[in-house]
This record gives sequence, structure tokens and C-alpha cells, in this order.
Amino acid sequence: MTSSEPRTPGSAALVRLVAAREVSSRIRDKNFIVSSVVIIVLLLGLLAFQVVAGSGDSGSRLGIVGDDGRLGAAVQAQAEAVGVDVEVVDYTDEAAARAAVEDEEVDGVLLDGAGPAPELLVTGRDATLEALVGGAVSGVAISDRLLEAGVDLQSLPEVAVTPLGGSDDDGQRVVVAVIGVVVLYGLLLLFAQFVAQGVVEEKSSRVVELLLATMRPWQLLAGKILGLGLLGLGQMVVIGVVGVTAALALDVVEVPGEVIGTVVTVVAWFVLGYAFYASVFAVAASLVSRQEDLGSVLTPASMLLIVGFVVSVQAAGDPGGTLATVTSFVPGMSPLVMPVRQAAGEAALWEVALAVVLMLLAIALAVRLGGRVYAGALLRTSGKTKIREALRAERA
Amino acid sequence: MLEFDGLHKSYGAHRVLDGVSFSVAPGSVFGFCGSNGAGKTTTMRIAMGLARADAGEVRWQGRPLDQVLRRRIGYMPEERGLYPKMRVGEQLAYLARLHGLDAGAAARAAEHWADRLGLGERRRDPVEKLSLGNQQRVQLAAALVSRPEVLILDEPFSGLDPVGVDALAEALLEQARGGVPVVFSSHQLDLVERLCDAVGILARGAMVATGPVAELRRREAGRVLRVVVPDAAPGWAATLPGVRVVSERAGDTLLDLDPGADDQAVLAAALRTGRVTHFAWREPTLVELFREAVAEPAGEVAA
Repeated sequence: MTSSEPRTPGSAALVRLVAAREVSSRIRDKNFIVSSVVIIVLLLGLLAFQVVAGSGDSGSRLGIVGDDGRLGAAVQAQAEAVGVDVEVVDYTDEAAARAAVEDEEVDGVLLDGAGPAPELLVTGRDATLEALVGGAVSGVAISDRLLEAGVDLQSLPEVAVTPLGGSDDDGQRVVVAVIGVVVLYGLLLLFAQFVAQGVVEEKSSRVVELLLATMRPWQLLAGKILGLGLLGLGQMVVIGVVGVTAALALDVVEVPGEVIGTVVTVVAWFVLGYAFYASVFAVAASLVSRQEDLGSVLTPASMLLIVGFVVSVQAAGDPGGTLATVTSFVPGMSPLVMPVRQAAGEAALWEVALAVVLMLLAIALAVRLGGRVYAGALLRTSGKTKIREALRAERA
Repeated sequence: MLEFDGLHKSYGAHRVLDGVSFSVAPGSVFGFCGSNGAGKTTTMRIAMGLARADAGEVRWQGRPLDQVLRRRIGYMPEERGLYPKMRVGEQLAYLARLHGLDAGAAARAAEHWADRLGLGERRRDPVEKLSLGNQQRVQLAAALVSRPEVLILDEPFSGLDPVGVDALAEALLEQARGGVPVVFSSHQLDLVERLCDAVGILARGAMVATGPVAELRRREAGRVLRVVVPDAAPGWAATLPGVRVVSERAGDTLLDLDPGADDQAVLAAALRTGRVTHFAWREPTLVELFREAVAEPAGEVAA
């Protein structure tokens, strides 16, 4: 008991101690462990579902004997049109082609494709391949007959395709952004509630009196928000890495760079959203003394979060709409709506910057005003405190 | 010296403290008594910065208490408070670290105090699994674990069994012997009388009596005389000048003497009745001092 004398810990040390306690007690908490596992399992399940749903398109190999170049091209054009991969292998004689089918080097061989009696040799029936070959063969035959009849194929009208609402890549990014926003919404709600529960736990157990004898309210608040925030960010990053890795490994997405960019955007918005909601929830929670009363004071802030979430899901379908555009600037909703607009390529850089600045202002206000309410309300351990009373108590 | 100097505090129109002053020397135990609602808890909370005084201040070694000095105080709040789900040992170590101990020292101190207060085997249990008495011990350990320079304890003995009371009393006296000023509030006046070098009695927001118990006794002594005269007729002392009979039962008489009354005249009167088996100024108990001190001036009885 005669070791080093106690020293006065600085603000940073106190905040770090509080944060470390939050992390270590939460990481052993059953709710936290269960929620983490559930989110990752859901995400992997979603990806697995994508793989199963899209599993028809594994590539086929088709052998063609004596092709003059038109059949192979026709098969591949057909395959591309229906989104299937087909590799065409040319064989010069029928025997080699038969051997290749029997050795299962190819899934099927087309004999006499341009002739009067085309024949498809397969080891097992494959409806997709049969349809493709059938289509290609009749396509080539029709154009041959038309040519013989002197019809000019050059003058056939072609359909011009104009994609509305962005290209294919945008679509993929929007899907990733929506999944990201779902995770972000869940984690925001979860961790902001952890903060709120922690605040009430300290109030209802009165341990706050012991704590405030050693530190100031803002140090306690900062430590709590930072500790849980790091844990939440860690979870968000783990989910992001697991999700992207699994998606790439399972070939669910094709453009890693843009998908990763979208995930990073969502994580960055999580940081801003968390800072805002954690402060607001903590302050609201400091007004009550029992876990039972928590629901009523958290409702207004939760509503903002829920509305933001609903709008962001809607925005995925209409990222350029007025609702999405306006709400993507509203602090508290922007972390949910803006990532979707960004992913859809609908948000200009200045718009994103403006939304971030507005959000930062809201956070500064929440921390500053909230810190005072928190300090004033923390030691009123009976019943509910009104915001006005708390502000007055803080000044008194 | 720990000095409470002229503390005033009102909540709205309700005046809770009206100039509370007293001081506690290093190494002494100060018992803080008063009726419920007299302002003991408010006084201690002001010292800990949990409530703000309208006027007055609390000083330790001549410096007004601030956040830095308060870390050197071991505090036990009236409303017990610990993290219910945190393990005893970790909780104590955490609180020690908040008071500035490094990780190693905090862990050792937590172990020491848990063992010392009979919680050694419960160190890995969450606080909520402990009995109320044991939670109380953890609370005390939480006040002691940071090697405080000052101890301020609000009702530390309430809810403890006799063994717990002895363990706590021993721990407090040991702290005091080590030079720590100890202030504690209690309604258990026998304990206060046994442990304290000085007591303060708070009534209606002000200290109505402070000082060593013996001195308070002397101040109050010289007023009540107990005379036992087995053979005396009832009412034997009723006519003596300056003397009021407080009680009389089979010759065992308590007499309240005016300041100018002559005790030797009382003795002479007693001897006239026959044998006198007892004649002495009676030392008031702390309970009587307390009752006397907190009695409402108008004669109302304090709750």
C-alpha cells in the first residue's frame, strides 16, 4: 500500500478511463454480443441469398463444329442479352467434338449448325443452353433466308437505349448504400440507446454522485460517448469489411472500387450521425431517473432517426426527388439520406459539404446546450427534470 | 484542518442551511448529528461539489475545496451508489483510478480493501449479487480505496450488522490515527459518543452545539442533580428554592437546579429525610444533549 502517490488525472486521462470502462463493460454485455452476431449473420445471409438467387448464370462451354464465325457470335450475343456467360470453342471435326462432350470439357456441341439438320449433343439437359443455341441457330438461318430473298438487313431499325436514373454501376452503388444505411440506422439506434441507458443507469444507481466528486459532467459525458462511439465505429468497420469481402468473394458485386467508396462514405456518416444522436440521447436520458421513463424522453429524437430512415429507403427509388433532396440537408436525417443520394450520383460535392457543415453545427449545438442540461439534470435523482429547470440548476 | 465556514443554502423559499460552521482537525473523528432534514446531507454535498452553497465555503488546509482537492476526499453518499453490474474488484479499482491511482496501485488497493472489509471472496461478483450489508461494505471500500486525505461519510453505519459496525468503526479509527480528518453523520448516538473526538449538532440549518463530547457534557452538567433518599416522603424537595423536580420515584429523585440554587442546601434537606444513598451531578447522555439541542425554541418537539 505504499506504492506511488495518487496524482491528479487530467481531463484526457479521465475521459479515457470512462471510455475504457464503457468499452470493457459493454463488450461483455450479452445484448451487445447478440446484436453484433445478428447483424453479421443477417448481412452474410443477405449476400448468400444474392448468390443463390443469381446462381443460374454460372458459365457454360459450347463446342461448335465447322463454324464460319457467325454462329459463335450469335450464341454469345444471345447469351449476353439474357445475362449468361457462354464460352464458345471451335472444333474442326465431329469426332473431336464428341470426345470433348464425353470428357465433359464442354457442356454441349453443336453439329451442322448452319446446315439443314442442326444437332446439339449434350451430356445432360440444360434448358438455358438449349434455348440459346436454338435462338442463335434460327437467327442465323432467318438472316440467311432473308438474304437469299434479297431483304436488306442494314435498313432494320435498331432500338436506342437511354438509361434513366443513372447507369448500372449507380444501381449497384445504391443497393450497397441502402444496405449500408440499414446497418447505419440499426447501429445508430443501438449505440445511442446504449449511451442513454448508461446515463440513466448512473443516475438511478446514484453512482453518479461518486463520479462527479472526481470529475466534471462534461468529462463523464465525453468519455461515455467516445467509448461507446469507438465500439460502434469498430462494429461498423467490421461489418463493412466483412460485407465487402464477402460480396467480392461471392461475386455479388463487380466494381470493388466504387462499392468500397460507398461503404467508406456510410462509415463516415455514421461518425457524424452517432456524435449527434449520442449527445441528444444522453441529454434526454439525463432528464429522467428510471429506465422505465426513458422511452418517453427518447421519442422525439428517435422519431427524427426513424423518419430519416424511411426517407432514405424511399430516396433509393427516387434519389433526385424533392423529399430526398431537402431531407439530405436536415441535420439528423442527412446521415441516412445523403449516402443514398451520393451513391446514386445525385449529390454535388457542394451539397455534401453543406450537409456535413450543417450536421457539424447541429452537433456543436447539441454538445454545448446538451452539456449544460446534462450537468444540471444529473444530480436531480428524483422523477423527471424539465430542460428549463436543468439549465437553471446548472447556472445556480 | 477541514473547515466548514458559514454555509448558506436555500432551495426556493426553503432555507436549508443558515450559516453552518465547524472544523475538524487532522486525525480526529467528527460526528455530525441532527434531526432528519436538518441539513447534514446538504452540508456534505456542498463539500463534495454536488450542491452549490449560496454563501460560505469549505476549506482543506486553508484552500477552498475545488475539483482537484476533492479527488483527495473519500466520500460515501447518503444514497448509496455503485454500478450494479460491475464486479466488486473492478469497480473499486476503477474508482481508485478516477482518484488518480495508477493501474497497478489501484488494483492492489482494491484487493486490500476488499479483503480488509471481508469481501475477499466476492471480488469477482457483480455488486447487485451482494446482500445489502455487503454492498454497504463495498461502498465504504469505495471511499477508502483511493487513500484519501479526508473522509466525508454520510450515514456510513446505517444498515450494517454489529460485526459490520465494528469493522467500519475500526477502519475509521485507523484512518484517523493515520492523520485523516473523518466526518460522518449518524443517528446512532451511542456510536457517535464512542468514536468521536468531537460532535456537532445541527438543527434548523445551523450548528446548535459543537465541541468534544466531554465539553458539551460539562456545559450541560451542573444542572441535573440525582438524589436517592429511600426513606423520604414524596414531595420532599418540592419546596426547596430554585429547584424543580424532574422526576421522583420511590425516593430516586431528579432535580433541575436554577443557576443560583445552592446544591448544599439540597443535600442538607436530603439528609433531614434520613439516609442519602446517592448524591451526584448527573452526566447527560449524548441523546439528552441532542434532544436538548434540537428542541424547537417554542417548545415544539422536533421529529
